[in-house]
Amino acid sequence: MSYEMWTEKYRPKFLDEMVNQKEIVERLKSFVKARNIPHCIFAGPPGTGKTTGALCLAHDLYGDGYREHLMELNASDERGINVVRETVKTFARTRSIGEIPFKILILDEADNMTRDAQQALRRTMERFTETCRFILICNYSGKIIEPIQSRCAPFRFTYLSKEDQHAYLQHIIQKENAQVLDDGLNAIFEVSSGDLRRAVNALQAAASAGKPINGETVYSVVGRANPTDVRNMVVLAMKGDFAGARDKLREMILKYGLAGSDIIRQIHIDIFRSEIPERWKIKLADTIGEIDFRLVQGSDEEVQLSALLARLTEAGYEMQRGA
Amino acid sequence: MYAAWTVKHKPQTLSEVVGNEEAIRKLTSWITSWNKGIPKKRAAFLHGPPGVGKTVAVEALAHDLKMELVEKNASDYRTAEAVQRFAGLASQYATLFGGKRVILLDELDGITGTSDRGGVRAVIETIKTARYPVVLIANNAYNPKFSTLRRYCLLIEFKKPTILQVMKRLKKVCAGEGIMADERALKLIGERSGKDVRSAINDLQALAQGRRQLTYEDVAWLAERDRKEVIFKVMRDIFYARTCVEAKRAVDTTDVDPDMLFQWIYENAPYQLTDARDLAMAMEALARADVYRGRIRATQNWKLLRYVFDLMTAGVAMSRQRTKPSGWVPYRFPERIRWLARTKRERQMQKLVGMKIRRRMHVSSVQARKEILPYMRVIFEDNAEMAAGIAKWLDLDEDMIKYLAGTEGRTKAIVKNLSS
Repeated sequence: MSYEMWTEKYRPKFLDEMVNQKEIVERLKSFVKARNIPHCIFAGPPGTGKTTGALCLAHDLYGDGYREHLMELNASDERGINVVRETVKTFARTRSIGEIPFKILILDEADNMTRDAQQALRRTMERFTETCRFILICNYSGKIIEPIQSRCAPFRFTYLSKEDQHAYLQHIIQKENAQVLDDGLNAIFEVSSGDLRRAVNALQAAASAGKPINGETVYSVVGRANPTDVRNMVVLAMKGDFAGARDKLREMILKYGLAGSDIIRQIHIDIFRSEIPERWKIKLADTIGEIDFRLVQGSDEEVQLSALLARLTEAGYEMQRGA
Repeated sequence: MYAAWTVKHKPQTLSEVVGNEEAIRKLTSWITSWNKGIPKKRAAFLHGPPGVGKTVAVEALAHDLKMELVEKNASDYRTAEAVQRFAGLASQYATLFGGKRVILLDELDGITGTSDRGGVRAVIETIKTARYPVVLIANNAYNPKFSTLRRYCLLIEFKKPTILQVMKRLKKVCAGEGIMADERALKLIGERSGKDVRSAINDLQALAQGRRQLTYEDVAWLAERDRKEVIFKVMRDIFYARTCVEAKRAVDTTDVDPDMLFQWIYENAPYQLTDARDLAMAMEALARADVYRGRIRATQNWKLLRYVFDLMTAGVAMSRQRTKPSGWVPYRFPERIRWLARTKRERQMQKLVGMKIRRRMHVSSVQARKEILPYMRVIFEDNAEMAAGIAKWLDLDEDMIKYLAGTEGRTKAIVKNLSS
């Protein structure tokens, strides 16, 4: 029996297999028909089919040997302008053999590139348009510089609807002979909120126990996958146990390798969900924003988030005094 | 509230005191000789380096012989009048409870005067008329100001204990606190303290308080960096500074590595500043200092370093507005450094597994670590067969499997599936 991660095993191979993003898929199919594609930007939240769309497009265009005409780069791994520029140049310079005269370069997480790197990329795109088409994948197209945007066809991917997600998961469930109850499926949608990659990962992890999957199984699996609880940390800080909260923070950052930006996003969500006086939520949002900005500037994640936790401790104290 | 372990675990009887057997025997026989009448030398002068157990030996001996210990510290008797007031106790005939009495003058190094005048002279006068044993303690008995005094005293030298004796003492403290400690860790603490038992126990407390286990890795960095006395002093100077200038000067006078010092202050601020408002202010000062560090990194403009120092020293010191003084709080070694060491391997494995996932699954290794690895961990815990399949598919080695599976047993099960 062969096992893989199901997200890969069941990743659509052709545009026809994609269950969602109907309009986008239609436009991509028209490119295939025309045997020509422009530079593209695929923007949208994670797990909505951006990478899959790009891979399917290439597959449909070149056929089974599509890998030879394709290069995938990830801007967040291939850091630095020079690495990207050199790799891209080498790949883009040479002409593709076959009936289609250009290659495709998929640049994932392109919004993580610095402005300088993007400027360099723009020149490369221009120089090698004849031999290479770029598909830039990102969460926010706004982070891509204007001159690149204006040279690309934009595609906006959106979260999957519940129906689309269910249809896709049902297909996997059948193939894998898994047993999933209705509330299990609903729970998966709840925890993934339309992110298909997360949904499939949760499904596989839940199925690995070999028992019928209900809502409880799903929540327990997701809980185990995310053993560090931001909410718990916030509560500790607000209750006055700053040192305890800082320990939790260290666990998240150092042991589980969570990114500061993810932790701060969750704190932000949590503050608005918590039962503190409304005006405090706004006060704290301002503080969170300031700290977030410092993180973006490259400050030390633990030190900055600790300052935020200390503010939460102070806020908890002030609230108790009725301020 | 913190109790200093040096006090909490102080030996109560002589049998618990380690080392200096010869000196203690000498001291005991001299004190017991008072039972047969006043001996020729009415004072014993214990001398030796700090933290070798001079005071502790006298206290334990008094306890064992059921004698009343009348104890004074240097700060209490710097001048002649002070000594005289105190010395009266030595010449009185009966103690309050009719028992025997030992007079202890500790930390004599700080006393003023010479044999002809001042404090030292008063001590000599006291000894001449003493009706109870007088014990003097100083680090250096050969200071010229003690030259006459020495003639009236039985000199007893205390030497540094052996490293094994220091370790024995530390083990005892660990046992009392319910801490499992690695021998090598204790040895390093003992060595780094210069075999000063008091300082070693203080270090042990800073390193091990609130833990159940102390490994060599936890203390290993002690061997590398700045001497901790220097850091402790800087910390004191900063946390108790009253003005910005005082706080800033604390750094100027040492050559402690600034990054290291930052970690120390960052670690200890919450324990030193217990008022929530003070703490928020201090942590914000540190965070701002960190922002300046970032600017230096980005621009290589080292002139900005002065603002880092302003904020991390004076900024933290001036945050003390409402925190109530609360006795001695021991300084803690920066946990973060320990965390970094302890989690280094885990982060390494995450990275390696992330690279493997990336190759197969069209994601960056960062995404892989964040979004896929956590679910793989669940699978590796629950389903050895599926785990083995995935391990083969991703080309994971046994270390990686073990990292994901968490336990020896599950790893074995997965590896077994791998070969079948």
